[in-house]
Amino acid sequence: MTRSTELVKHEARLAYLLLLPSFIILIVIAFYPLASVFVNSFTDKEFASARAVNFVGLENYGRLLGLTVKPLPPLTDPASGQIQRDPASGEPLYERPVKVLPREPRRYKELRQFNLLGSRYVLGASDRNFIRGMADTLAFTLLSVLLETFLGLIIALVLHSRFKGRGLMRAMMLVPWAVPTAVSSRMWAWMFASTRIGFVNVLFQNLGLGDGQIAFITEEAWQLWVMVAIDVWKTTPFMALLLLAGLQLIPEQMYEAANVDGAGKIRQFWNLTLPLLRPTLAIALVFRTLDALRVFDVFQIVLAQKRYSVASFIYYQLIDNQAAGYSSAASVIIFFLIFLFAVLYIRVIGGVQNEE
Amino acid sequence: MGKRQRLAALVTALLLLPVLFASARGTQEPPGEIVINIASGAVGTEYERLLEQAERYMADHPDIKIEALSTPDLATDRLGLYLQFFEAMSPDLDVYMIDVIWPGDLAEHFVDLYEYGAEAQAKEHFPAILQNNTVDGKLVGMPWFTDAGLLYYRTDLLDKYAYGGPPATWADLEAMAAKIQAGERAANPDFWGFVWQGNAYEGLTCDALEWIFSNGGGTIVSPDRKITINNRFAIEAVDTAARWVGAISPPGVTGFGEEDARNMWQAGNAAFMRNWPYAYRLGNADDSAIKDKFDVTPLPAGRSGHGAATLGGWQLGVSTYSTHPKEAAEFALWLTSAPEQKYKAVKDSNNPTFMSLYDDPEIEAASPFMVKLYDVFINAVARPSTATAPKYNETSVLFFTAVHNVLTGKLDGRTAMEELELDLQDLLGYPVGQP
Repeated sequence: MTRSTELVKHEARLAYLLLLPSFIILIVIAFYPLASVFVNSFTDKEFASARAVNFVGLENYGRLLGLTVKPLPPLTDPASGQIQRDPASGEPLYERPVKVLPREPRRYKELRQFNLLGSRYVLGASDRNFIRGMADTLAFTLLSVLLETFLGLIIALVLHSRFKGRGLMRAMMLVPWAVPTAVSSRMWAWMFASTRIGFVNVLFQNLGLGDGQIAFITEEAWQLWVMVAIDVWKTTPFMALLLLAGLQLIPEQMYEAANVDGAGKIRQFWNLTLPLLRPTLAIALVFRTLDALRVFDVFQIVLAQKRYSVASFIYYQLIDNQAAGYSSAASVIIFFLIFLFAVLYIRVIGGVQNEE
Repeated sequence: MGKRQRLAALVTALLLLPVLFASARGTQEPPGEIVINIASGAVGTEYERLLEQAERYMADHPDIKIEALSTPDLATDRLGLYLQFFEAMSPDLDVYMIDVIWPGDLAEHFVDLYEYGAEAQAKEHFPAILQNNTVDGKLVGMPWFTDAGLLYYRTDLLDKYAYGGPPATWADLEAMAAKIQAGERAANPDFWGFVWQGNAYEGLTCDALEWIFSNGGGTIVSPDRKITINNRFAIEAVDTAARWVGAISPPGVTGFGEEDARNMWQAGNAAFMRNWPYAYRLGNADDSAIKDKFDVTPLPAGRSGHGAATLGGWQLGVSTYSTHPKEAAEFALWLTSAPEQKYKAVKDSNNPTFMSLYDDPEIEAASPFMVKLYDVFINAVARPSTATAPKYNETSVLFFTAVHNVLTGKLDGRTAMEELELDLQDLLGYPVGQP
């Protein structure tokens, strides 16, 4: 008995010794910068500057996340006391938000106006770019992950079947994933050029969908779709690869049995393939969602300062405003958001596994 | 020590070995050779030109090796790169190419060139630029070339549509561009009247300042530190520009930088372009569709009665973190000396900063506009980098974002300028004033 516990302790010591280099590297590369970002988020540190650093507590967080709702009173004609109305539409005219939103201790800027129970309100944010960036990043994540999963599944199903040249197709499929994002974003930005220099404009014009002068990258309605398109092009192969691996785990005999039982192809897909693919699908979704929430390269290269994602907002705060403390606070916020998503997903995967 | 422990110790040592190598200083310098790294731009033919000049310098100085790093085109991106070097206090770059608006913000990272013999050369440069580069008596950057916004126009098209000369006011420009565009569209569906820089970056600050200043709207923040942007002339100027988008300028002009505008212009698809002087030489290159068919003139006037040209230009500074400041300063002073500035003026139409060079016959022959437009260059309007130092960058971001919102139609001019005034008050703490 004593000899085996000694052996266990001996092996444990050896294990710790062998793990020591990895721990040291992890602490230096991962934990130290992370801790430093946390600490900086409570200060007003400036990037690339020798100015004194002051502790400011939760001021940075307050400024980033500050939201307020204020009612907008309708404009009344001073003489008659009647509500002023827009002569064209008959809608009542309201006070301008810049006069209603609070300015102390922080200035709130108009984010959105909305009607509720007959009255008009304005939603104000103390950092409009950050809130918009969050909304855009979440919308981008939702759209791109949905599309990538859907298209990836289709491609995986096709590549799972037997046909001549399957090996070659599987290799070619990975090309968009292999091209560095910096290169492919630039290429897509040129393809989406606003005049007929751009491939997409010429394509749309030939299909009768436009006049060849659609400014994809500067028009608000198009910008997010352009981002989604570039990301879907790049990442669908990755999803397809993961899902293909999952498909190959499903034994052939199950399909043969289903055929014998007389189940049609669609029935087989719905009741056989999908349920057995769920663990793989969950893992693929986790990867992609967390990646999409962190999106930086596409936004910085194509949209620059026209529209921010959370990560590119952080970058520009750091570089343009040299605001290291403020951008650290934004980083911490997105860190917790991603952490939350990760925990939620793990719960879901855990739930799936428990069912098996 | 048992066999297992010896193995563990050996593996650990092997794994940590690369760390020792990584901490050794980058490239091994052979003894006696000094490597000077210069950060240069790559707009147009800048980079190739610098390499040529570096070759000649190295031929005269065999113990020095010059290596040039090409940096991003957009000034904002380039600043981002520089700040990373400064945050790391890196000796990897010795000489930096700095924009005319950066000395105020970045003064702490550069050596005083007066301590390295700049005195003799300094007094021959334009005094305004030298003053711009001097922060608390310290010369942060030696002027390398100066820039001012110019209006490029197609002489052949003006003749074709029977216009006597280039437009004198913005209203004239709008009318001429509209007419020429309408006429040319039949043959060329990609033709537009006027191209300029409308992307959300520092270049838009330059273009917008020209519209506003020429209309009597001031310079965003006045030299005596008052916020003057929220006035009706500035609002009128920005609203006018917003009208051009989609009418005489392509809708995508709100995404154009210098090179995008130049590409469209040089392919013959624009009647007018606002750009810096570097495009002159490139427009007359053999592969240009508009060779010998264009000329330059000062930008049109607004209500103030005179046109405005934003002062641009680049300087060379030596980093305080450099390990060879003396040699780096010598190289910087050589590059900014009169003969080398003349070389760049003749080859790349980069405006020299030596007053005497504007009388030079060779420069006049290569780029006649430089001598003709001398007044434009010495009267260029400066961006308020000194008045807002050290927060010029943030000021500029707020300004170009506001203008971009008006150009894309998200906000009207009045709301945008009103909010900008409030933003600047929060940022700078200055009082509001009249331009």
